[in-house]
Amino acid sequence: MFHWLEKNPFFFAVAVFVVIAFAGLVEILPNFAQASRPIVGAKPYSTLELTGRLVYIKNSCNACHSQLIRPFKSETDRYGHYSTSGEYAYDRPFLWGSKRTGPDLMRVGNYRTTDWHENHMRNPAEVVPGSIMPAYTWMFTNVADVDTAYAEQLTIQKLFGVPYNAELPMADGSKATVALADTLDGARASALEEAKLIAADMKDQGVKDAVAAGQVPEIVALIAYLNRLK
Amino acid sequence: MNKTVLAAIAVIVAMLGATYLAVGTAGGIGGDGGLVNKLAVLGAVVLVIVTTFVVTKYVRQMQNDTASGKLADENWDGIGEYKNELPFGWAVIFLGSIVWAIWYFLAGYPVNSYSQIGEYNKEVTVHDVKFNEQYKNMDDETLKEMGGSIFIVQCAPCHGLQADGLGGKAADLHERISAESVKHVLMNGSSNNLLGTSMPMPDRNGLLNTNTNALITDAEIDAVSKYVAGGLKATEGADVFAGACAACHGADGKGMEMVAPNIAEMSPAMIDMVLNHGKKGAMGTMPAFTNLTEVQHKAVDAYVSSLSKK
Repeated sequence: MFHWLEKNPFFFAVAVFVVIAFAGLVEILPNFAQASRPIVGAKPYSTLELTGRLVYIKNSCNACHSQLIRPFKSETDRYGHYSTSGEYAYDRPFLWGSKRTGPDLMRVGNYRTTDWHENHMRNPAEVVPGSIMPAYTWMFTNVADVDTAYAEQLTIQKLFGVPYNAELPMADGSKATVALADTLDGARASALEEAKLIAADMKDQGVKDAVAAGQVPEIVALIAYLNRLK
Repeated sequence: MNKTVLAAIAVIVAMLGATYLAVGTAGGIGGDGGLVNKLAVLGAVVLVIVTTFVVTKYVRQMQNDTASGKLADENWDGIGEYKNELPFGWAVIFLGSIVWAIWYFLAGYPVNSYSQIGEYNKEVTVHDVKFNEQYKNMDDETLKEMGGSIFIVQCAPCHGLQADGLGGKAADLHERISAESVKHVLMNGSSNNLLGTSMPMPDRNGLLNTNTNALITDAEIDAVSKYVAGGLKATEGADVFAGACAACHGADGKGMEMVAPNIAEMSPAMIDMVLNHGKKGAMGTMPAFTNLTEVQHKAVDAYVSSLSKK
């Protein structure tokens, strides 16, 4: 066999590739699969949070904001614990971002709250002097796309086995469950329930009225998502 | 002398000449170039001579040497291989690399391997040691200064660089509490989470004014809100405070441990509680800042409580 391979450079090259590829699979893949498992405390996104994530992506927030804290003291002092791969297990796609025009948002839920986001999204420079972030005023009136978020939830549950309606271990030893409704109407209702909690902490009367009327403005969904980033 | 040696001498002369042309007297041949330049030129000369000598040796060997030794039985398309002993140096290097591989596999890699997290942990440890050493005994000024710089990074995004709350978006830290906030608490009560007690402050339906023996009224709420926000100095509202608030907050408003917070002035203990637990009030929610160290908490306490004392 080897003598035959020696005389056939093409098949020799193929054999070399197969051997190295096999070694790579055996060495790299198990480790990779292990590291990308959800860490204890990771939860899939609820309907409203996922709606907010879609708003985040739609407005290209990830073009200016990263979601990846590197293990340097200067970063962990400012943003919190460095990121680990298991934290992105339910991010499809992950939103690491490649450039920080604005600050990292990986754990923004730890140090900003609903009312701050409300003030900031309406006029960033008013809260952060010198900020070059544009105002996102339309988010206060645009209605968020809850239906697409629900479709995505169903898809990832069926396709990737994302554990909705299942007990998940939390870091403090308790269990948490992220509910996924059986029907579209159920999903809309649960998103609205979450939205009411956010809107209660907001000042904008238009947003409060919209939520009371059964709509979910984009800003509410986005804040739900940002508060969830921890 | 054959042609090769003559060519070698010609090369040496040419290269040394070129060096002299390029460097000139600045190179130190003349004397004013300093020791480093002299050494550099000396090195260049040695390099040229040694290189030429070695190359000449091998060229002559190729010209004159004849093959010797015993050929292996096998040959490859007419190309044979001598059965010479492995040179001693190679054998030593070969055995040495085996020993090194065993060491690296068992000890070298597992013990000394690089890890990003390891580097991070080291960075943090080194910093902490340095920090603790440098700020072991801080006087109040340094503490306040440190608090000021932490404030700019951690607090200013909501409270503003001037700590004025950016026009009502967050608490104005130059005063203990705003009339609006007092009113909010009187209307809605407070969970008292900050104090670590499960005994909440009641909302207005539980606030009895002992002066009138009736529940607190709208007018009284307005009056006492202004009174508390004004630092408990005015005369108006003082009677309501004495009747409805002083039982828990004390006649001077400085509170009681595990019962009611100090509402007369910014106290470091109160600020520390807010930093540890966050706060939900009239203006919105403040998150907890547990990522700061104990020293940093003390620094922020000192800085913020100094703001209202100016």
